[in-house]
Amino acid sequence: MAPRARAAALPWLLIAPSLILACGVIGYPFFEIIRLSLSDVSRFGQIRGFAGWDNFARIASDDIFIAALLRTLTWTVCVVGGTILVSLPVALVLREDFWGRGVARTILMLPWSIALSMAAIVWLWAFNADYGMINATLVSWGIVDKPLQWMARPETAFPVEVGIGIIVSIPFTVTILLGGLSSIGGEIYEAARIDGATGWQSFWAMTLPLLAPFLNIAIVLNVIHVFNSFPIIWVMTQGGPNNQTHILVTYLYELSFYLGRPGPAAAVSLVMLAIVFSATAIYMRLREA
Amino acid sequence: MKKLRRSIIAWAILSPLLAVTLLPFAVMISTALKPHVEVIAAPPRWLPTRLAWENFVDMWTVLDFGQSAFNSVFIAIAATLLALLIAVPAAYALSRLPMKGRGAYQQFLLVTQMLSPVLLVLGLARMASSIPFGDGTLTDTRLGVIVVYAAYHLAFAVWMLASYFATIPADLEEAAWIDGATRAQAVLHVFLPLAVPAIAVTGIVTFVASWNEFTVALTLLRDPSRLTLPLKIVNLVAGRYSVEWNQVMAATLLATLPVAVVFALLQRYLVTGLTLGAVK
Repeated sequence: MAPRARAAALPWLLIAPSLILACGVIGYPFFEIIRLSLSDVSRFGQIRGFAGWDNFARIASDDIFIAALLRTLTWTVCVVGGTILVSLPVALVLREDFWGRGVARTILMLPWSIALSMAAIVWLWAFNADYGMINATLVSWGIVDKPLQWMARPETAFPVEVGIGIIVSIPFTVTILLGGLSSIGGEIYEAARIDGATGWQSFWAMTLPLLAPFLNIAIVLNVIHVFNSFPIIWVMTQGGPNNQTHILVTYLYELSFYLGRPGPAAAVSLVMLAIVFSATAIYMRLREA
Repeated sequence: MKKLRRSIIAWAILSPLLAVTLLPFAVMISTALKPHVEVIAAPPRWLPTRLAWENFVDMWTVLDFGQSAFNSVFIAIAATLLALLIAVPAAYALSRLPMKGRGAYQQFLLVTQMLSPVLLVLGLARMASSIPFGDGTLTDTRLGVIVVYAAYHLAFAVWMLASYFATIPADLEEAAWIDGATRAQAVLHVFLPLAVPAIAVTGIVTFVASWNEFTVALTLLRDPSRLTLPLKIVNLVAGRYSVEWNQVMAATLLATLPVAVVFALLQRYLVTGLTLGAVK
């Protein structure tokens, strides 16, 4: 081969294995899901024929699906919103120079290293009605007069799950925001102080606008991650009681492997993929801007 | 004095979050060291009357902890090596070589990163059961899980490696060419030694992600002798009427503590890497 042709081919040769692996392990299942969603599928996965939009029509009239779709919206907005609201002040504090900053930072990063499934189990035990430390603490502090059945009722179980979703998302978000804050030099604050700006004014007029791209990245990455987050709800309530804590991923899993309805499950997958792709498109826009 | 004031305010603001972050660890340690009778005594107390080390012995047998830990380590190491083997050349090409279609490739990576395996579980399960392996199919094999993990961690690994590689000056390799080294020699003797920290950090992140993964393993693995630690531990709790929480917490502690310690030691490097990736 001519040297120039070789030089042009080399990068493609180097990325070829990654393309093959990704296309095989991500592309093929994607194709399978499209095929299943348009087919009449037996509970054992046998394709019995073309079904057109039947599977989509079936999930559209499925009350559990509609409820799970709306709950996914609540879940994503509450977890991501809560995460940003907590992470922003934490990142601002961690940027300051104070005694024990390294220790505080290391502790706050800890949940990142714990598997979501393991965190869910520990919290499930902490919220245990009879023997959990949460009820024990609340009762001994006199905040409640008798132990609450946290995980037995959706009204309390779902907010608990949202709270845990927030806690596990904070380390990643604080990291991104700290990276953003470190890119803002100290000089502009010095200049603002000389011009007589208060701390509050410099936060609104300088920190927040300069941090905006990082906030955007943190929000979009978190939205995609939280939207797809499976272990917390699956381990703590499996979508129950009475299907009232299902989000789309947990319902998708139940449809696929427990209720034996692969056709509608594939349709749920595609609806979710469409939502994720829209979020990705927004992310790409933000990266270009 | 100013710093003292600042430190008090900072710790005061952070303390509620620190408490909530440390609570699960306190619960884990407290329960893991309690005798069974104290675990099911109401109201529960933080401190055990004696340290019940037998919890660790009991859960080791119940869980077949050695085998499950081996499965987790084996799968995580193999997936990490496979992902690095494929990601390092790709990241090198992306950060060093002039290339047509670079933008398209980057977009492709981004799209694969957005596709969480949980959205494709049904397709993954069908794919695994359609590929023959040994006496059966890839379903219920460690190899199946390894390949899936490697594929889904690829985009992140390439992204992180490429942004690190871009910070290694190209002059050094070019100097080696002038001294008569071939491109391959320059990469091997000049570039790779400098890239070792970046590869190590990426490898550790991939390892931790594989070690912690739940959904794919839950979908593909069935045989109790092949299950990873998270699956085994969740199986002790899910759908059971009586749960030996002291054993479960002992197992959770042993499964999470080593990774948490490594992570705590390395988080500084991780922060740098992620920040580089995010800004680029």
